[in-house]
Amino acid sequence: MSYLKHAKECLSNRSKFFRLNAFIALADSSSMISRSLRSDHDTRNALSDKLIAIKDNICTDEFPTTAASGILKEFTSPYDATVVKQLRHAGATIAGKTNMDEFGMGSHSTHSHFGSVLNESLNGGVISAGGSSGGSAVAVATGQCWAALGTDTGGSVRLPAAYTGTVGFKPSYGLLSRWGVIAYANSLDTVGILSSTVRDARELFNTLNHHDPQDPTSLPVSTRNRLNSSTQSKPLRIGIPLEYNISTLQPPVRTAWLRALRVLQQKGHTLHPISLPATRHALSAYYILAPAEASSNLAKYDGVRYGSRAEGIDGTPSSVLFAKTRGEGFGAEVRRRILLGAFSLSAQAIDNYFIQAQKIRRLVQQDFDNVFSASNPLIAPSACGKESGVDVLICPTAPTTAPLLQELENQDPIGAYMNDVFTVPASLAGLPAISVPVSFGEKGGETAGMQVIGQYGEDGLVLDVAEQLEHAIFT
Amino acid sequence: MLARPASTAHAVLSKKPYICQSCLRRARLAPLAPLPHPSRLPRRALQTNSQAPPKDAAPFRKLLKDAKKQKKADGLQSNTSKKNKDARLDKWELTVGIEIHAELNTPRKLFSRAATSVAGAPNTHVALFDAAFPGTQPQFQRETVIPALRAALALCCEIQEKSGFDRKHYFYQDQPNGYQITQYYEPFARNGHVTLYPHDFPGGVSPEDGPVTIGIKQVQMEQDTAKTVQQPPHTHLLDFNRVSHPLIEIITLPQIHHPTTAAVCVRKIQMILNTVNACTAGMEMGGLRADVNVSVRERNKEVVDGGHEYSGVTGLGQRTEIKNLASVKAVEDAIIAERDRQIEMVENGGVVEGETRGWTLGSKSTKRLRGKEGEIDYRYMPDPDILPIIVGKDLVEHLRDTLPMLSDAWVHTLVNSNQYGLTAKDAGTLLLLNDGDRLDYYLDVVAQLRVIFVNDPEALGRVGKTAGNWVLMELGGLFKNEEWDENRVPSDQLASIIVHIFRKQVTGRTAKVLLAKKFEGDARTVQQIIADEDLLLQPLSRDKYVGLAKDLLEEKAEMVKDIVDKQQYGKVKWFVGQMMSRSPEGTVEPATAEGVLRELMGIPPME
Repeated sequence: MSYLKHAKECLSNRSKFFRLNAFIALADSSSMISRSLRSDHDTRNALSDKLIAIKDNICTDEFPTTAASGILKEFTSPYDATVVKQLRHAGATIAGKTNMDEFGMGSHSTHSHFGSVLNESLNGGVISAGGSSGGSAVAVATGQCWAALGTDTGGSVRLPAAYTGTVGFKPSYGLLSRWGVIAYANSLDTVGILSSTVRDARELFNTLNHHDPQDPTSLPVSTRNRLNSSTQSKPLRIGIPLEYNISTLQPPVRTAWLRALRVLQQKGHTLHPISLPATRHALSAYYILAPAEASSNLAKYDGVRYGSRAEGIDGTPSSVLFAKTRGEGFGAEVRRRILLGAFSLSAQAIDNYFIQAQKIRRLVQQDFDNVFSASNPLIAPSACGKESGVDVLICPTAPTTAPLLQELENQDPIGAYMNDVFTVPASLAGLPAISVPVSFGEKGGETAGMQVIGQYGEDGLVLDVAEQLEHAIFT
Repeated sequence: MLARPASTAHAVLSKKPYICQSCLRRARLAPLAPLPHPSRLPRRALQTNSQAPPKDAAPFRKLLKDAKKQKKADGLQSNTSKKNKDARLDKWELTVGIEIHAELNTPRKLFSRAATSVAGAPNTHVALFDAAFPGTQPQFQRETVIPALRAALALCCEIQEKSGFDRKHYFYQDQPNGYQITQYYEPFARNGHVTLYPHDFPGGVSPEDGPVTIGIKQVQMEQDTAKTVQQPPHTHLLDFNRVSHPLIEIITLPQIHHPTTAAVCVRKIQMILNTVNACTAGMEMGGLRADVNVSVRERNKEVVDGGHEYSGVTGLGQRTEIKNLASVKAVEDAIIAERDRQIEMVENGGVVEGETRGWTLGSKSTKRLRGKEGEIDYRYMPDPDILPIIVGKDLVEHLRDTLPMLSDAWVHTLVNSNQYGLTAKDAGTLLLLNDGDRLDYYLDVVAQLRVIFVNDPEALGRVGKTAGNWVLMELGGLFKNEEWDENRVPSDQLASIIVHIFRKQVTGRTAKVLLAKKFEGDARTVQQIIADEDLLLQPLSRDKYVGLAKDLLEEKAEMVKDIVDKQQYGKVKWFVGQMMSRSPEGTVEPATAEGVLRELMGIPPME
């Protein structure tokens, strides 16, 4: 498809689905069209004919970057994030900045200073877009862009993908640069990809998967060279984590899971039940660690050097000059998590909360290392491959399909946190995980997200299995 | 391992916003190796926490003077209470630990590639991360470890193979990220010590009789904050140039038991940092800042409930912390005041509370800033964006081998080497003065004299001591109320004066006149002045000496009688002075004159 045709289609969908509130800032439509006519439009570049939407917590210098927060509502970054720069170099056009949960904190993209992201079920019901990258997922699902960047801290790319029927890929931690990505919990934050197909996700991933000296946690080239890059054609051993078969798993989700396992078995892979015992503590650990880091990362927003300040005089002789500004600038969920994090880091609580949660995090990682046949390349290569181990895990992305937004109105925060129960373990361990839609109805149509999780650095394998799953389901 | 592909780095850098071009030029020019004269950089106030800087704008010298006046007045009033105090000090033992913050001498900031600056226009040396822009991350500048390691090695610390950075959270507008990056859980250096010798103490006497060794618990690296310029009543201006300037914090064990020892300890650490070229120190000017913790306990008595434990030292009394002391004198005075306050409180049946207190120069007591309930919970968290620092043994060994000679070694050399032959006291003074510049000057003078007298062993044996007297006493006297400047009397000119004395070409008095002339800016060389003003010693014949002396002795027969009968030999000097003043300048040598006088009066010759 030519760029011009692609752009026109996206623009048409943009007006058609404007009501879903997927974007906070949109690229100028005439410049999008005229771009194809420019002389520097080099069609040899990998992404030269592609429109890509960017989650609004990734810095761009041509659009505001708000992280959907009141405190940054008028903020424009003076620089482009490395991933944005990489996209531009590959010839991509930025379609706009997508709506999200404020600073990435939420599971339904309803905690936004710019209003909730909406998602529509096949029968027209208003359902959750998932969060926090809900805007990016809806933009892809409704054809307003070719693909989108999101961020995934505890499932923020995979959950929206599951709820919108798109592909959501969270690569291994440290592969994609975070320079210019507004930190929520930096030991967990990962740039992720939302797309219509696994192939598109892979193409974007290959463009972005490079070392960045500006990101101190970017995996150095020497370590990248150690990662397993071979794609496997042999029959795979597929693990089924028993702890994920919880009683509250919705029947359609279980149906989709069984279907996914069946088609993979039909392709000659073998299925193996495995156990990840630390999983049941993973969610609690995540909701200690992520808010703790968030309370620290968000301490910089004071309206002194940039960002919004509260109206009138702020500060008293005995306090800092931005208590009121911070109180007004942050939404309720962000304030809740800052308080939670400040508490779990406090001298009285750190031993019982933050330190314990770090120990659980290590146990979760060891759980995964115990079941995978490949050893973790980040750990001293003592443990060699295990014969009995599995190559990838297949499990649902979320226990339920997308709930009606109405149902969420009276939900308590703990209920919302429960949505992340299946995505958080891979985040804690820094593993690659991808959510692909698997239909559960007889006639196709309605889907649930199925997750493929691999050992650290086996991003290629995870994409391979996801692609096989995708083809088996839809062809 | 520390070399960087500088050219590519600069090419990338120059495209970045918020880094000024002069920063880049400086980064390009500034060698990673230490600058030759760090102590001569202009200095500035240092603030390591959220306290507002002292408001009084009076110059430091005036503060000191006022403090002295105040002390004098107090002393006059309460001579009796002083005696009581001394009795109390026999009963109560003081314990002090010190934390010293010093600015590292590095071309770049700790976590960004922006240049460090001292006098740059405000907010011209600020990288995106320094201003805490969303999405930015720290980029640790590993070169900053080098001066930190030098400091730690000079303080005899064990360098940790692995160390890490943590976030210390507190809100203040001078702290753009809302936290300071420091080393709380894993500092880079531990278990050092500093030894204070008697010559380090004023008057050469240590209150502990002999050398005192103070343990250093740890040395950690951390970032500085922005500079707040207050414009009363309501305006605070922020200069982010200083944000992320690398600092080290040196934490001593609570092993200090005298206020003087604390002051000497701070001064000695300051000197060590200067010697190894680690810091832009100079406490009087604000490059260094100290916090002290102070407690008292009754001697020879167990503290109730086993007492408190600080840094592994047990059985101590409840301590208080006094923050932000900006001079050696403030350290000493604040400790004295706090010690006396605590003793008074406990003797009157009170209880010392764990609290943070402040001190202003010249005041008599410390002032409560906040109590335990008001203590900030810093919520220390390892920084997830900063990888651990791994320091190789080879680097440590290399730095250890190339460390400059430390002050204790210098004192040893100056006292024991026959090149110098100074007293320990003079050697200590030389090292202390002008951040070591005075020592450099002295060494220059001696080196020149040694070349001139290379074939004269008798003179060679004396040059060190004589040069020491002239550099410290004569020149020191002239510089008493002025800033030291080694160019005022160039070292070769002082050497020239000393050569003339040694060769008996000028009298001592003439030599002093020559020095004064050079000091006052006479552009001529010493040689020239002597020629122009005919100052060369013109030896009188013995007959002339005798004639002069006889005349005088006859005039003042009364005095002669006193001298001869009552052995008041001191009065001979008066006659010497008279002989000199009655003769043309530079003709009478005092020693010869005295010899002749004594001979005529029939009293014993000079000793």
